[in-house]
Amino acid sequence: MNIDFSLLITEISLAILGLTVFTLGLILPAKSSQKGLGTFSLCGLLVILALTIASWGNQGETLGGMYLADYFTSFFKILSLTALILVILGSKNYVNSQIENHLEYYSTLIFATLGMIIMFSAGDFITLYLGLELMTISFIVLTSFRRTNGKSLEAGMKYLLLAGLSSAVLLYGLSLVYGAAGTVFIKEIAGNIAQGYFNPLLIVGLAMLIAGFGFKISAAPFHMWAPDVYEGAPTPVTAFLAVGSKAASFAVLIRVFLGAFLEMQEQWTMLIAFLAALSMLIGNLTAFAQTNIKRMLAFSSIAQAGYILVGLVAANEAGIKGVMFYSFIYVFATIGAFTVVSEVYNKTGSDDIADYAGLSQRAPLAAVVLLISMLSMAGIPPLAGFTGKYYLFITVVQDYLWLVYLGLILSMVSVYYYLRVVLVMFRDEPADPAPLKLGSTASLTLWLTLAATLFLGIYPWPLAKLANTVAIAFLAGL
Amino acid sequence: MLENIFVSSLNWLKNLMAAVELPAPLADMLILVIKLAAILGFILINALWLVYMERKVSAFIQGRIGPNRVGPFGLLQTTMDVLKLISKEIIIPAAADKKLFLLAPLMIFVPPLAIFAIVPFGKGMAAIDLNLGVYYFVAMASLSTVIIWMAGWSSNNKYALLGGMRVVAQMVSYEMPLILSMIGVIILTGTLNMNGIIQAQEKVWFIFLQPVAATIYLIAALAETNRTPFDLVEGESEIISGPFTEYSGMGFAFFFLAEYANVLLVSVMATTLFFGGWLAPFGWTFLPSWFWFIFKVYIMVFIFMWVRWTFPRIRVDQLMGFAWKVLVPLAIANIFLTGLGKYLFLS
Amino acid sequence: MKQLQGCADMENSLELIAFFLLAGSLLTGALMVVTLKNLVNSVLSLIVVFFSLAGIFILLNADFLAAVQVLVYAGGVCIMLVFGVMLVQRKDMRESNPVNRRFLIAAPLTGALFLLIGLVAAKSPWVKEAGEVPENTIEHLAPILLRDYVIPFEAVAILLTVALTGVLLLVKEVKDNGRSS
Repeated sequence: MNIDFSLLITEISLAILGLTVFTLGLILPAKSSQKGLGTFSLCGLLVILALTIASWGNQGETLGGMYLADYFTSFFKILSLTALILVILGSKNYVNSQIENHLEYYSTLIFATLGMIIMFSAGDFITLYLGLELMTISFIVLTSFRRTNGKSLEAGMKYLLLAGLSSAVLLYGLSLVYGAAGTVFIKEIAGNIAQGYFNPLLIVGLAMLIAGFGFKISAAPFHMWAPDVYEGAPTPVTAFLAVGSKAASFAVLIRVFLGAFLEMQEQWTMLIAFLAALSMLIGNLTAFAQTNIKRMLAFSSIAQAGYILVGLVAANEAGIKGVMFYSFIYVFATIGAFTVVSEVYNKTGSDDIADYAGLSQRAPLAAVVLLISMLSMAGIPPLAGFTGKYYLFITVVQDYLWLVYLGLILSMVSVYYYLRVVLVMFRDEPADPAPLKLGSTASLTLWLTLAATLFLGIYPWPLAKLANTVAIAFLAGL
Repeated sequence: MLENIFVSSLNWLKNLMAAVELPAPLADMLILVIKLAAILGFILINALWLVYMERKVSAFIQGRIGPNRVGPFGLLQTTMDVLKLISKEIIIPAAADKKLFLLAPLMIFVPPLAIFAIVPFGKGMAAIDLNLGVYYFVAMASLSTVIIWMAGWSSNNKYALLGGMRVVAQMVSYEMPLILSMIGVIILTGTLNMNGIIQAQEKVWFIFLQPVAATIYLIAALAETNRTPFDLVEGESEIISGPFTEYSGMGFAFFFLAEYANVLLVSVMATTLFFGGWLAPFGWTFLPSWFWFIFKVYIMVFIFMWVRWTFPRIRVDQLMGFAWKVLVPLAIANIFLTGLGKYLFLS
Repeated sequence: MKQLQGCADMENSLELIAFFLLAGSLLTGALMVVTLKNLVNSVLSLIVVFFSLAGIFILLNADFLAAVQVLVYAGGVCIMLVFGVMLVQRKDMRESNPVNRRFLIAAPLTGALFLLIGLVAAKSPWVKEAGEVPENTIEHLAPILLRDYVIPFEAVAILLTVALTGVLLLVKEVKDNGRSS
């Protein structure tokens, strides 16, 4: 059994980059020179992104189907790498002033991304689970990175305990599925089910899988950890957690549920629809009461998870396309918003919404990006979020009309709490009128996310078409 | 004739059982019980003898005479000591966790006994010829830690507790280099079976092929048996015998003998891994294989005693630093070199 | 009981007895871990649980797995737990593993889940294609780990690196001025 290394180019180069950053950090003598590690990782990641894009057409599977490389994985590889690049670019100021161990910070971020990539390239449960754990453990470390800060440690502790519990549930589900289906390979499970092989234990296993992944995407009722962890973690980590961990888990959900259990569709779509509805309800309604912007964004991200789950309910190529499209635009909106939050925190030391008063006067660019990002999350046309929601909800109009109505109503409702922040930024007078100077790399990130959100809202076809091709190829490859 | 004395007597027993038509599974179990009982006897007698030997060796090193009153040359001294300890009252401290306090000395002989079951004392003389061999040794040996810690904790005494903490820290730390040093040998032989490892040393002992691993093993083994210079666990002058402070009578005797059983055990492993086990040196096969095995084991034991009476006790921070910063990296480097060497020269 | 009578072969019935003994000590140990008031006793019962599990692995001809179970869990994980217990020691160890009233909610829930899974499992058709167990199981491990499962293997390597560095980072001493040494 030979390994086709050309399929592993992203993974191998990411591992090498992570280890190089690590070694460089140990070799470099002065603390001050460690600040260059961020730039170094950024350059390396750009090269890897280019490599990944260049090997788009290079498809196949290696190690007897244990490791897959298809359009679907390439799409999510590009997504997670883009997210990481934007996060590192946008957080240089924050990291330089708030975090002291650069070498661990950057290498752990890179390894977390490696975990995600292993996760959605996995063709069997063992690889999948290890990728998931690599990602989760990296995030536990990253969450508690500001270890002199009580909230950060609390967040790390909570994430550790709950992630451990959810991993246990997930693993139990995987073992039940393995026992019932007789194989850990996703494709073979699908084959066994298609041959009419059915075992009631599969359904118990499925329920546990949904609970385990539900935790990772912070869907209600498995969302309890999200607000505390989002609030306590260093803001760039929060952004990456919200974007990367979620996108990777959605990719795996699609891979497992559509890849292996498509034949058993009627057994699980209702459950997912229920989770989607509950997440939208809880996320949107609880977000009203928040006074801390990171907590508010956390609840909003729970609601977003609900929206994205709708695409999974449809369980067809349009649904997959919706999930992929929305995940991608969600990257830009979320990272834009969190970059503003981290820049403001860096200057004012506060995450309270009240302290955003007059941001439009102090830092107009930041205020505009926050406005656009939030409106995009709320789904106001002509922003990208509207297109994304359209693609998601159009897929279930026929079968789950109530879900569509619920989604629409709650999207309207969500505009209220997003606009509350906007109102504070644009209407209220600042307590301290001095202009808030943004870092140059942070400004670049803000411009990039702003441009992407606007562009994909007005002209979504290239990305939509790409997502469509990938979705069709994914379903055809089953 | 002498070579096969144990194997043939066991065969005679087997034939006897077949003659009285015992059911096969029952006969197998009976044979196993006999083997294990023989091993237990071997351990106990050796432990007794080793206490005497230790006292004589220390006396020799310190220019004293040592025990010389009970029996010829004081040979019966330790037997008498044990008889005395058996007759003493077992005192249980009022605040102790009674069950654990009594359970610990009973359990302390289980890991050594379980490990001796797989040791090849001579050609074809392993009670159980296990393919897992060395791995099984490592797994079982890791359990002693828990038992000594149990003793330390259940005594409910601050010195015992300190000793218990030190046991855990020290034994966990030195388990790493111990295991890593064995991997070099395993790479060379390609088997975990102890007989296989011995047979692979037919031409040259592994002490010559793996000198670094052997050194690391000997140091780590010293620490695993909690002997000077690594006897902080007991440290009579600072924490009054650590975990064993509160034990009296037979409980104390058990721990005391178990220490020597463990010394014997690590010597046996050293002999097997690095000194050719029961293989006769220079082709001197006129003496039986089991004699050579015991002979080599006793030389190893003597080396351990020699070290004990030569070096002073080291500090806790030195202890931990030495394990993690010196032995572990060295052992890992040794694994890489061995792998490289095998790739270059043997394939 | 029916099964017991069905097994005419003595070896099989010995195995069955061993299984019931091991399963019994496993379940008792597991219950004790949860219910004992003293955390130290809980940890020690956990060792009993791991040991019984190793025994069951041996019955299933998975001797390497059994050794791993003893080395990693009974000898490694439990020692770490012991360390944790000692470091967070309470004034009175007898109250260190208290049971609160949530027990009343948790016990029926887990019981119901157990019943559900048990019932479903009992009704399921099982694929029974146990292959012949090779005489020497460990020889096949290396090719499996380092060739077939090389990606998970390497993922574990990186995972352990991340975990180690993360732990070192988080527990590094913090000086009074808020900076680490």
